[in-house]
Amino acid sequence: MIVTRKALNRRTLLKGIGVALGLPFLDAMTPAFAASTPAEQPVRLAWFYLPNGIDMRNWTPAEEGPLGALPDILSPLNGLKDDITVISNLTANWGRPLLVGAGDHGRALAAYMTGVEVYRTAGADLKLTTSADQLAAAAIGHLTKLPSLEIGLEEARQAGNCDNGYSCAYCYNVSWKTPTQPLPPISDPRNLFERLFGDDIVEAPAAHAKRLAMRQSILDHALDSTHRLEATLGGTDRRKMDEYLTSVREIEQGVERAEKSGMVIDPGIEKPFGVPHEFPDYFRLMTDMMVVAFKADITRISTIMVGREGSTRPYPEIGIADGHHPLTHHMGNMQMLEKVHQINILHAKLFAEFLTKLKNTKEGDSNLLDQSLIVYGSGLSDGNVHAHDQLPTVLAGRGGKYISPGRHIIYQRETPVANLFASMIERVGVRPEHVGDSTGTLAGLSLS
Amino acid sequence: MPQGRFGKPPLGVIYNTSMTRPDAALALAEIYGFEDKRDSRVGAVCVVGAGLKTAIFCDMVGRVYMPGPTRNGNQVLAVGLADVKPLPPDSPMVQPAVARKNDKGQSEYVHSIERVSDTSLAEAVLLNGVIWQADAAVILSAPATYLAKSLSLNNARKEYEEKCRRLIIVDAGVPQTDVPAIRKVIAEWPSPIFFCPKEVGDALLFPAADLEKAFEWEPNHPVVDAYNAAGKMPYNAPSYDLAAIHFAVHPDSGFILPSEPGTLTVSDDGKFSFKPGGGQVKSLKLDPAKKDALMLAIIEILATKPAVPQQRTRPTPGADGATKAPDPAAPDGKPPVIKKDQ
Repeated sequence: MIVTRKALNRRTLLKGIGVALGLPFLDAMTPAFAASTPAEQPVRLAWFYLPNGIDMRNWTPAEEGPLGALPDILSPLNGLKDDITVISNLTANWGRPLLVGAGDHGRALAAYMTGVEVYRTAGADLKLTTSADQLAAAAIGHLTKLPSLEIGLEEARQAGNCDNGYSCAYCYNVSWKTPTQPLPPISDPRNLFERLFGDDIVEAPAAHAKRLAMRQSILDHALDSTHRLEATLGGTDRRKMDEYLTSVREIEQGVERAEKSGMVIDPGIEKPFGVPHEFPDYFRLMTDMMVVAFKADITRISTIMVGREGSTRPYPEIGIADGHHPLTHHMGNMQMLEKVHQINILHAKLFAEFLTKLKNTKEGDSNLLDQSLIVYGSGLSDGNVHAHDQLPTVLAGRGGKYISPGRHIIYQRETPVANLFASMIERVGVRPEHVGDSTGTLAGLSLS
Repeated sequence: MPQGRFGKPPLGVIYNTSMTRPDAALALAEIYGFEDKRDSRVGAVCVVGAGLKTAIFCDMVGRVYMPGPTRNGNQVLAVGLADVKPLPPDSPMVQPAVARKNDKGQSEYVHSIERVSDTSLAEAVLLNGVIWQADAAVILSAPATYLAKSLSLNNARKEYEEKCRRLIIVDAGVPQTDVPAIRKVIAEWPSPIFFCPKEVGDALLFPAADLEKAFEWEPNHPVVDAYNAAGKMPYNAPSYDLAAIHFAVHPDSGFILPSEPGTLTVSDDGKFSFKPGGGQVKSLKLDPAKKDALMLAIIEILATKPAVPQQRTRPTPGADGATKAPDPAAPDGKPPVIKKDQ
């Protein structure tokens, strides 16, 4: 580590013509002569929402305690066993039919991170509460360029009736800034890229038009300041900068490649322009940007909807032409259930790739995965019967020496999933009076 | 809350019990009996002040009336258990039923609870049990710790105020062990409170001679095992919880009458005291002329053979891939045969 007398500001940006770019955590950001007490690295929080429930037969480890060989669906995570915690028996009570009846998909998603009753409407009079991620964003979002980042792998609809009288806003948004304001996920890779790495300086219209017209690489605008900064960095930081800029450029090139590839529109899928044709490529592209966003400390809070609740996406990449949602209502048909099983495995494989990238990203004496708490779960367990309890939940990462992973923890039934989210946001110093219907934090999760 | 297309469901009963007396075991059977008659339905059962075997016992009783695999969490809430460490001891009353084996060495009674994590979080199940209902009644016959805790949860007061028609606090002569909690409940509960004093249960005795008759529809019943184990037979048990639950479901039956509002206090050693005037709690009084009729009505409820439940959800394959939907009624009309120790 190169220790300088003057520490680089944690929020230093590369600034060029109309461009500001976040930086990874560099040694130079460690305060001078502070090697014996390294600066505490930030904790990142993320939620991966899986639609339509899970083939639970192949999800839950048989035993409580240290993780052995993982069940089939989680088997792609075998190499990351020491980095994940499987949590069983959590409930999202407000997803249940209660007295209202149908509409389980809309409620499952809307209630997942809010933990309150979902007011049934297909109109504009939406009513929920602030979701757990946004409780954290409201408290610590000012520390980063973006308070939070919402990503989705399906284009989001915001109006209309999507599930038995429940607005599409409930079915497509997991993050809610206020009781009435959902935060629509970004599903277009280019939009995501520009949100993360684009201009956060007000640009003159002429300059903006010129930049778009030239379609010049956004990175190129920042090169001058990059070179000036590099001259002040030590060898380790220069290498990190180089890796970082390379990864940003690769993503940018990926976006460009997707746009140039012809974008074959599958009539069975709602795809925005510029989306990679293959779902795995789409997943990787979007989560790669999430990795960079965490690495550069552009944001510390993110949600990603692997699919909207009730998603009918087919998965031709693995030979599944049927829509996901219809398959989950298999009525005991083993062929249909097997396809659900394969979709679940595909998602887990991609999630494992994402975690591996975080783990391979060093930060101080740790890595990004260790510095994160990432939920991989759903507001439905058995999609066939729309069960809102015993939810499939994996928590990845250590949250900066906060929890000890590699375990399967089984809580009492009816334990609100909001208790997990309360534990997560408490880790970043946020302790609201209520996190949805939480009864507290999860006992036995943290090391303290 | 908007109503479903099936109309308003019957009153949901939320039973917070320590299950240490025979009247509690009978009361559990009474709740399921009322459900079978559609007078009410089981909202939740929550054990506070006892251990895992007590939760298993409650689960066993429930499975007598609702045979079949637990279909999903949307229809049946697992029995709640206050998970304190160490767990309190179980009443000797529940042990014979839990330990009872059939001739194959398997548990005589089907149950889905094996460990604490199979039970429900106490404060959550108490509130969720009410949230599920259009109208609910809560019966507190246990330490008030978790009911008080549930009052502090998000929107709990609103839910209790809107849906709980009555909270009935039972005095069975056992002092409350969590005095601050019961005082909090009495002071802050947002819907009508009724106090069922010890005199009501003492005056209404369940006749031991009628035990077999009440349960003759089921030769093996965990409640009968519990009653037999709770005292030296034959004995007539005071009916504290039986009376409270009957009033909860049928407050206008005329068997038990509420007083004018008064004040319910709890002494530092956990004893209840009710004084007329100055408060909002109503004390219950058994009409002496109707106590025999009330007991006959209760026995009739207990003696009703439960109907075979109808499947209300899509079937779900089990681990072996086989569909585990509840079986249709057997030709002899008996409840479906369920594999023990699943």
